[in-house]
Amino acid sequence: MYEPPFTRDRDANERLAARECDACGWVSFPEFRDICKRCESVGEWTDTELEERGTVQSYVVQQRLPDEFETPLPLAIMDVPQTSGGDPARVYGLFTETDPEHIDIGMKAEADFRRVFDVDGLPVHSFKFKRPRGDRL
Amino acid sequence: MRDVAVVGAGMIDFGELFEQSFDDMAERAYLNALDDVDKEISSDDIDAAWFGTLDIAENASSGLGLSHPTGLFEMPVTRVENACATGSTAFRSAVEAVRAGSADVALVLGAEKMRDSAGGLIEGASLEQVWRGRGVTMPAFFGLRATRHMEAYGTTREQVAEVSVKNHENGAKYPHAHYRFTCSVEDVVDSPQVTYPLNLYDCCPVTDGAAATVIVSEDVVDEYTDDPVWVAGSGLATDTFQRGKDESLAGFPATRQAAEQAYEEAGITADDVDVAEVHDCFTITELVTYEDLGFCETGEGGAFVESGTPHLDGEKPVNPSGGLLAKGHPIGATGVAQVNEIYEQLRGEAGAVQVENDPEYGLQHNIGIGRDATGSVSCINVLSKHRP
Repeated sequence: MYEPPFTRDRDANERLAARECDACGWVSFPEFRDICKRCESVGEWTDTELEERGTVQSYVVQQRLPDEFETPLPLAIMDVPQTSGGDPARVYGLFTETDPEHIDIGMKAEADFRRVFDVDGLPVHSFKFKRPRGDRL
Repeated sequence: MRDVAVVGAGMIDFGELFEQSFDDMAERAYLNALDDVDKEISSDDIDAAWFGTLDIAENASSGLGLSHPTGLFEMPVTRVENACATGSTAFRSAVEAVRAGSADVALVLGAEKMRDSAGGLIEGASLEQVWRGRGVTMPAFFGLRATRHMEAYGTTREQVAEVSVKNHENGAKYPHAHYRFTCSVEDVVDSPQVTYPLNLYDCCPVTDGAAATVIVSEDVVDEYTDDPVWVAGSGLATDTFQRGKDESLAGFPATRQAAEQAYEEAGITADDVDVAEVHDCFTITELVTYEDLGFCETGEGGAFVESGTPHLDGEKPVNPSGGLLAKGHPIGATGVAQVNEIYEQLRGEAGAVQVENDPEYGLQHNIGIGRDATGSVSCINVLSKHRP
């Protein structure tokens, strides 16, 4: 069975679909709420899409995780811009194919569509981040 | 609203308590709290109870989890769950009820069995949510603040480690602590890496424990003690880094909000706090909490701990009990045990870890993880030697 949470979140997980608050510009991602978490108004929203590239705001390198994960696993808080401009979304970014030595605050990272893990034998797809090809060391 | 006082505090030695059940721990903490009341108290005096537990090992999902080990049936028992702020929120909730007049004598009991099940938190945090929490474990949630704090303010790895050194020094003197060893800055930075930039000695242990507190209204306080410790103020707030506020990258806005509420209610400022028990699940948590509570300016947490100010013999001792790093972090019990430590400090009964600045105001603080964020909840309680 494909679990309901992953089905509900498919647009966000698989297409980086988001919404922008018309009142304050905050980006709701990966959720589609009516109440804005920044200005707290029940605002109007505009559908938007995120770029497949973001900027690292902070990061860690996880060394000990359940078997489902690759380790060492760099993980960052990312600012991911909207394709149409405006404020970026602030999200967690799992990294892949990235040497822990080569991750830094301020670096740009590209989103790559990947299978992140399986639920009851069925794959859950979403984005992981890595150094842009041109910047690869 | 009525004034509320703490009149009794009990806990058990925290640790790896495989030989004790949840009920064994809760019963002993409760009896220790009753024993601690200066004048006689009987279980018949208790009007209501507040029960803090996340119930990680699944022993306690209703109020019966408190009634069964304590024998306190046929009265209101409210179970409180608020992530790592569970114990302090249970205390706050009990205080509010006594203030409002719905009870004169209330019990706060916090307990957690952390060692009886192997899975739980790490698997939930890592797998449950694809975007929001995927692959994010507890050390990662907090380590993200450490990386950013070091980058933004030039905080050094050694300054972060100082928190562990200080708290283990205190914990070695504290009889109920899980870990009673001392360590050096070198020990911390050389210990195995858990999640860069945090190492093993930057992390609190996984600990079983229970703690209980007896609080009473001003109307009956004289029946129980001539030396009460008063509740001066409290604060509780939530936040998420997804709101996009930059201050949440290197700190916890929820703590700032909760502190503002608590200081205002107590009619004090950060300068008036003489001793504090704060959340130090990881070294960096305590370091940024100095800033969030207003003990020092933003960005100066590293220099603050390096200066010795929060040491046991410093001007503003923080975590005289050894904190979560040494004492341990049995979630539901953690905040209750912190309240108890502040109560003992203000009464001058803290033994080998008694602070020497003749404290008048003491502060207790927890921060918790929930959903997608650290700092998703923060709870603060301020106690005072003087009636508000």
